[in-house]
Amino acid sequence: MSTNSMSDPRRPNKVLRYKPPPSESNPALDDPTPDYMNLLGMIFSMCGLMLKLKWCAWVAVYCSFISFANSRSSEDTKQMMSSFMLSISAVVMSYLQNPQPMTPPW
Amino acid sequence: MEKPKAESWKRTPQTLKPRGAARGAMKTLPAFCVVLLVLWSVSEAKFDDFEDEEDIVEYDDNDFAEFEDVTEDPAPESPQRVVTTEDDEDEATVELEGQSENQEGDFEDADAPEGDTENEPYDDEEFEGYEDKPDTTSSKNKDPITIVDVPAHLQNSWESYYLEILMVTGLLAYIMNYIIGKNKNSRLAQAWFNTHRELLESNFTLVGDDGTNKEATSTGKLNQENEHIYNLWCSGRVCCEGMLIQLRFLKRQDLLNVLARMMRPVSDQVQIKVTMNDEDMDTYVFAVGTRKALVRLQKEMQDLSEFCSDKPKSGAKYGLPDSLAILSEMGEVTEGMMDAKMVHFLTHYADKIESVHFSDQFSGPKIMQEEGQPLKLPETKRTLLFTFNVPGLGNTYPKDMEALLPLMNMVIYSIDKARKFRLNREGKQKADKNRARVEENFLKLTHVQRQEAAQSRREEKKRAEKERIMNEEDPEKQRRLEEAALRREQKKLEKKQMKMKQIKVKAM
Repeated sequence: MSTNSMSDPRRPNKVLRYKPPPSESNPALDDPTPDYMNLLGMIFSMCGLMLKLKWCAWVAVYCSFISFANSRSSEDTKQMMSSFMLSISAVVMSYLQNPQPMTPPW
Repeated sequence: MEKPKAESWKRTPQTLKPRGAARGAMKTLPAFCVVLLVLWSVSEAKFDDFEDEEDIVEYDDNDFAEFEDVTEDPAPESPQRVVTTEDDEDEATVELEGQSENQEGDFEDADAPEGDTENEPYDDEEFEGYEDKPDTTSSKNKDPITIVDVPAHLQNSWESYYLEILMVTGLLAYIMNYIIGKNKNSRLAQAWFNTHRELLESNFTLVGDDGTNKEATSTGKLNQENEHIYNLWCSGRVCCEGMLIQLRFLKRQDLLNVLARMMRPVSDQVQIKVTMNDEDMDTYVFAVGTRKALVRLQKEMQDLSEFCSDKPKSGAKYGLPDSLAILSEMGEVTEGMMDAKMVHFLTHYADKIESVHFSDQFSGPKIMQEEGQPLKLPETKRTLLFTFNVPGLGNTYPKDMEALLPLMNMVIYSIDKARKFRLNREGKQKADKNRARVEENFLKLTHVQRQEAAQSRREEKKRAEKERIMNEEDPEKQRRLEEAALRREQKKLEKKQMKMKQIKVKAM
């Protein structure tokens, strides 16, 4: 038995299950990028829709892509998809209302 | 057939009979209209005659009598008139005078050469005035002809949509980078696990658990939290409760991050957190690592800031390279920790070690609460923390993961070492004093808050009691409860008075 315990440190009777760390405020503290980008994306897409600015709508699409790439697995996909759809609809609506090509701001 | 016609005819005068007066009016009305028409046409002709006296002059038979062909004369003059009327519409009144002058000139020219006008419809002399006209108009107007580009939306070419094409290309590039980055991170994680699997399985019963299965069986694979974070939980070993390994790769799936890293290179990291059993680790706080990392940890971590108040010291005394520094609660701990094997590990793999942190008072980073200090000390756990940098500074390849295997050996060794290392009596006393001191400080800071909390609790109790008394329907019971509450309050007051008296006596 002693040789056993010397050579094999494993103890099957001491197995503890994995407990995911409590995520009250930690996710937001660790990396707020996806949340910020989500919010920015929504703001830009609303601006693009209301003010009929094409560049706003395009920036919103980019923001939602960045938010998706940085998202945590704990975040639900519904919010991601909704921000995606909103930004794409902003782009489509801007072009339907005004099919002219985008003019650069400079 | 005729009969109905005759009848219809008969009917019409019958129907018209009652409108006798209207009949008379109907007869006179057409005649009146015809007279009006004739008068109007005559007046028009007369006005036409009076519009241009020059025209009248032209159309006089006497003028045309000089020429053989009458029809040719109006022809050349009509285009002139057409041109002049057009000019009248476009240009200012100044031109009208010029036109009138030209017209007179034309007529003079037309009158003189009889033969020429017959053969040539347009005489050179006729257009003399016209050379001046464009010059005068241009000099007076100064309106240059500018060639304007056709607006973009009217062009039917893809080139005008170059910005949109740029945007879509950017999006496609982002998506490509996402796929490539995700795959690379996944390959790196798998390579790490394949390299370390054997060592882990020989040390732990349970390798890989996501907490969802009913039974505690090894999943044998990493738990993907993110596109760049992978977890692995190992448990079932002497002295430790479990070990959580977190592979924190760079965000290769985010193009913005990739571009930012080109400016400032960062490494992938492997974070290992070993939770020790209470009986298997003595009470001490100790850290070793790069100076920068230690400074940051000292600021962030609750236990390091409270127990290791000194600045990170150099480890040269123990044979460590200059890049590494030591933070310790007391010298004895450092002496005990820095044995030969540990020094060997630290020296050989100094470039891969970011920080090593042993603590019995570990509670995570400092919590910044808005209301002020938390009312209770945070829960502590005996923990060993290791943070390693993957070699390559971002440009990692799967084969680089093999270089981390010796570090895992160091972790295992540290677990056993922490279990074996015990403070002597002095050290233990110091450690206990330190902990008591920290707790006292904490209590002092929170004294005010705790008092307030206690007061609010007391008030709540009183309110609850009063409510109970009010809610009691039976007046007798109410009276009794009220009396009981009064008695309790009196007792409290007496107690307070006694205490004050005692304090006064002591002070005296």
